[in-house]
Amino acid sequence: MQQMEVEQEKPPEVERMILEYLRKRGHKNAEQALRDALNLPANEQAEDASTEASEPVQTVSDEELRKHLVPFWERKEGSGDNALSDGDLTMQSLLTGGVTAPSVTKLLESIGPGGVDEILSVDPTDRHEGFRDLEAWVDGSLDMYRPEFRPILFPIFCHFYLDLIQLGFRDAGIRFFNTFSPSLSQTHSRVLHRFSELLLPSHLHDELAQRFRNEKYVLRMSKSGFSLLVGWLTEGLGGEASGAGEGFSGEKGKRGRAAIMRVVNNHLRFDVTTSNSTSVPPNAWEESSGLISDLIPSSGSGQDQKSDPAAFNASAGALKLGPAPMDEALRAETERRLREMNSPSAMQDVRPTVPAGLISPSPTELLPRPALFKTIDLRREVERVRDERKRLRLEPSALAMEKDPTSSAVNAVRARALPSVCAYTLYDVGEGAPCSTFSQDSSLMAVGFSESYVRVWNLKGDKLRGIRNDVDPNTTRDSNALRKAKERDAKSTRKLIGHSGPVYSVAFDPLSGSSAPPQYLLSSSADATVRLWSMETMSNLVVYRGHQNPVWDVQWSPMGIYFATASRDKTARLWSTDRLSALRIYAGHLSDVDCVKFHPNSLYLATGSSDWTCRLWDVQKGVPMRVFIGHQGAISALAMSPDGRYLASAGEDLAICLWDLGSGKRIKKMTGHTASVYSMSFSNESSLLVSGGADWTVRCWDVKGAGGLVNRGTVRENGVVNGIEDGKDHEESSFETVDLLATFPTKRTPIATVHFTSRNLCLVSGSFLPSDQR
Amino acid sequence: MSKSKGKAPQTQASGLYKPESIKDVAESLNITNLSDAIASALASDVEYRIHQVVDEAARFTRHARRTMMTTSDIDQALRVLNIEPLYGHSPHNPPTFKRALPYPQSQAAGTVYFVEDEEIDFDRVLREDKIPLPKPANWTAHWLAVEGVQPLIPENPPAIPRDEPDLASAKLTTPPRAGPQLPPTPSSPGRSGNYGAKKPNQLLVKQVLSRELQLYYTRLTSTLLPPRDESMRTAALTSLRSDAGLQTLLPYLVKWVGDGVVGVLREAGSLSEVDGKVLEILLDVIGALLDNKTLFVEPYLHQLLPPLLSILLYGNLHPTNSTQLRTAASQVLSHLLTQHSTTYPSLSPRIMKTLLVALISPGKGKGTREGAVRGLIGVGKEAVRKGLLEGGGAKLIGSECSSGEASPVVGAVLDALRLLAPSSAQPRPLSPQNQEDVSVMTSLAALLGPFFAARVAPDGEWGRTILTVQTTAGP
Repeated sequence: MQQMEVEQEKPPEVERMILEYLRKRGHKNAEQALRDALNLPANEQAEDASTEASEPVQTVSDEELRKHLVPFWERKEGSGDNALSDGDLTMQSLLTGGVTAPSVTKLLESIGPGGVDEILSVDPTDRHEGFRDLEAWVDGSLDMYRPEFRPILFPIFCHFYLDLIQLGFRDAGIRFFNTFSPSLSQTHSRVLHRFSELLLPSHLHDELAQRFRNEKYVLRMSKSGFSLLVGWLTEGLGGEASGAGEGFSGEKGKRGRAAIMRVVNNHLRFDVTTSNSTSVPPNAWEESSGLISDLIPSSGSGQDQKSDPAAFNASAGALKLGPAPMDEALRAETERRLREMNSPSAMQDVRPTVPAGLISPSPTELLPRPALFKTIDLRREVERVRDERKRLRLEPSALAMEKDPTSSAVNAVRARALPSVCAYTLYDVGEGAPCSTFSQDSSLMAVGFSESYVRVWNLKGDKLRGIRNDVDPNTTRDSNALRKAKERDAKSTRKLIGHSGPVYSVAFDPLSGSSAPPQYLLSSSADATVRLWSMETMSNLVVYRGHQNPVWDVQWSPMGIYFATASRDKTARLWSTDRLSALRIYAGHLSDVDCVKFHPNSLYLATGSSDWTCRLWDVQKGVPMRVFIGHQGAISALAMSPDGRYLASAGEDLAICLWDLGSGKRIKKMTGHTASVYSMSFSNESSLLVSGGADWTVRCWDVKGAGGLVNRGTVRENGVVNGIEDGKDHEESSFETVDLLATFPTKRTPIATVHFTSRNLCLVSGSFLPSDQR
Repeated sequence: MSKSKGKAPQTQASGLYKPESIKDVAESLNITNLSDAIASALASDVEYRIHQVVDEAARFTRHARRTMMTTSDIDQALRVLNIEPLYGHSPHNPPTFKRALPYPQSQAAGTVYFVEDEEIDFDRVLREDKIPLPKPANWTAHWLAVEGVQPLIPENPPAIPRDEPDLASAKLTTPPRAGPQLPPTPSSPGRSGNYGAKKPNQLLVKQVLSRELQLYYTRLTSTLLPPRDESMRTAALTSLRSDAGLQTLLPYLVKWVGDGVVGVLREAGSLSEVDGKVLEILLDVIGALLDNKTLFVEPYLHQLLPPLLSILLYGNLHPTNSTQLRTAASQVLSHLLTQHSTTYPSLSPRIMKTLLVALISPGKGKGTREGAVRGLIGVGKEAVRKGLLEGGGAKLIGSECSSGEASPVVGAVLDALRLLAPSSAQPRPLSPQNQEDVSVMTSLAALLGPFFAARVAPDGEWGRTILTVQTTAGP
């Protein structure tokens, strides 16, 4: 990080003092001093009186000041030149303007003549001109430097705009925004939109504006590029657009340049790299520039704040991403059972194979579990082995290899590469069904509704019997009595009522695996609670309170017992079903935590947040292990690959990013969805990713493929819709990456859930939108 | 970043919420001397606060997996911002804004909108039927894809016909953007509207038909023709009659029928018995297509009619099954008309015109005449009256027949007359002695010609009814 000194050509003694003061504190404080003086004329040391205590008084005086100064500004903006630059005139006007004379004179005395000029001559057109010059310089720079310089425009723009708003130049700010925002809106539309709403100084308490003010904006630049920038800022050298007139030699140009310099010094940080500017991948800036300093967790000791995500990820240490080890007794019993069943795989080792390059955790590192295994564990493991044998293997890489879309072999390859997708379409859902889930044995489907209830369906049509109301729990001792206590007649669907707000997430417990129906259901809601429901009695067992805000997501850990929640209160929490309060709180995100996902070995927890980042936490220690920066919007869905290597995240920027957990690096970015992605799921071999979303489609992505955008002019090999080659419309398909294998449109059904069964059948569900809905 | 984010912020920074609105509100609170500066500052602040609430509400919309913000989202947002929610707005019945009549006193007021507040009469509500409960949520399952191929079933959107109207509208309402800041949704390439036009037609045809449908088509046509196995044929026709999802095949089937009929009829000379059989099957196919409720046949009617009318009016059908064929064709025609004449009103007049030309114009064979009469029977009573009585068809045919002849055409005419007026069960002949009967006889001869007057004469009641039909309906 480098600081630059502003060069001023020999300012007078007093002026320099005040200028330094102003620069140190920024203009805000100078203005505060002005206000203080207006309000408290007796206080001679107005400069130092700007404490928090006087905050409420200041706002009043602020407006008062505005009232008196408004005529000058208006006149000045109208004429375009600086009417206030003449100190005497200003003085005169102020004295005749109705402000009580003694307060103003006192104030002016306290600041000195030069200072008055500086404050009152803050000419909004300075910034306008300054930014125009900067843009001209960037555009006029050499081709090889231009991509490097362009990112600097955005932070300078934001700070200039915020400055103008803060100083109360509303109309000038609006003009500035309208002039320069179009060229930036390509990449920064969201922030720009947010800033366009900020029009009064009091609005700068806005979360995003505060982040811009208080955090350093990181930019990446090469050494030579950086020295060019410094040269221009100090000397006004080079790159000047032709016909700029007086440009940088003029007085105005200098002031604009000084304003840029102020922003650069106070709010920007340059990551000067030694690498050649051309060798940086085009999308790298997404990950390593912007307001990232607060997004990166401070590591371990809390002393050394890392400056970029890669450095943090490297410092956080290696991860153990291998599958969780199996209990020895359980393994032996499972093998015995398989032998009894005469299955041909009895001879094979039932322990999960560890993929090459991954380290398995030791049993002691896992979350605490009951020491003895139960029948349900045994059944689950046996079923897992059988599923593995009967599973349809999906090999999308074969499809990507097939170059000729017309060859007859393609259909056969498609069948091997792509899954069968079964769609469960909900209708008559009223206000909407935000979430749904399938049990692992595909026997139950649970749907959470906006009308605060959860509905469970038995997909096989069996009846869902609850317990009768008149049963005395003291007399029901054994399973027979319990069976008698069950309701006589029931339907294959059941409404679970308890929440008092829209239900945002539901999850079945994974304990019984695919061998039997699950026993428990978790649901999270806008009423800030999580509820545990028994599928045995069809009733609510526990309410978990702790979050202060709506709970957006709830997920079971892969071994059951534990679960994690994500909430609007910017935290994720770990819970155990048998305790009412949270075991761990994962705090650090700067905005809502929108989704959570456990790593398959349950050692790590991934969270996605509205601060545009994902994090991977160590579940037990509660510390962040990886941070994934690169999305340009809030994270809407997460998926972990079953082999434990990858994390897929989908953002409101409509992209799906694939991350390597071990290194924390982004592998690729997959685009093609035209509206929010609601859910994603990996196939069991981790070779295929299926996503569904608000654009009424289900899309299949090749995980191992190289990705990248389609080259214009070349014919698409894959990305085939219904056997129809889909590469004609380059205008439209050019944002689809080549690893999009297939798109299956539905009829007006946003897909809320995508789920792979243990045998690689894909189940999706969503609620049908009647077309007459407005 | 991708280029999909090209949307400039829509909100003019100068503010959507105008200072005038603030002044209006102030006036309603009896604050008349609000200065411009305050109003404008307040307006920007109000706008900012609204944006704050909307931003918060957008999160709830997003998590509710919706693309449209509802009043309940706003309520939730106000709750988490610790503000009292605005009660009384439910997403079930959104308020409808009506435009007020222009207010002549102050022209500058602009358009005024108001929320219509319906008055509910409790007595009436109590007297009326109970409000039905909304249907509970339910689900259906279908295959979105089978091994990577999307099956063409009604639950899935049609694959190609991109120029169909419902798809065009689907494209217009294409999904939805989430939140105000999202880039405009590019219409998904799967449903892009106009790109079929860019490709040569040949290629498009190849793409339309999925492999399964192509197989179905070959199997179906090879089973039906040449005529072999009766049971197979019945099965094929049943499938055609009731199976869903054949819409994309329809143009091919229609063309196949048309080609088949032309092929048979073009053969020189009279037809063999086998050819008649083929025609019969083709007629069955047309009937089956019309029977299938899932097919939308109307656009293809103009292609279906030529083969049908050709069978009807072809002069040299094999004598053994000519009547049977023509009767069948007339039945199919009648079926077609009952199905489609309501939506396609000019259909029956056009068919009738063709038939009348065949019936009346000189130089046609008896087969053609018979077909025309049978066709008129198929079209209906009124057509028969027009053709045989008013247009003089009966007279013409009678003049072409030698007396005492019993050719099929005579039978057809008598059938037609029976449709016009049922013959009585116990006929009482017209007697030449009775004065009244003689006059009936004369008018019958004038109407039907001597040949058919003689045929009708044995049944006096029938003759009289025919006459009344003509006199009541005719000019």
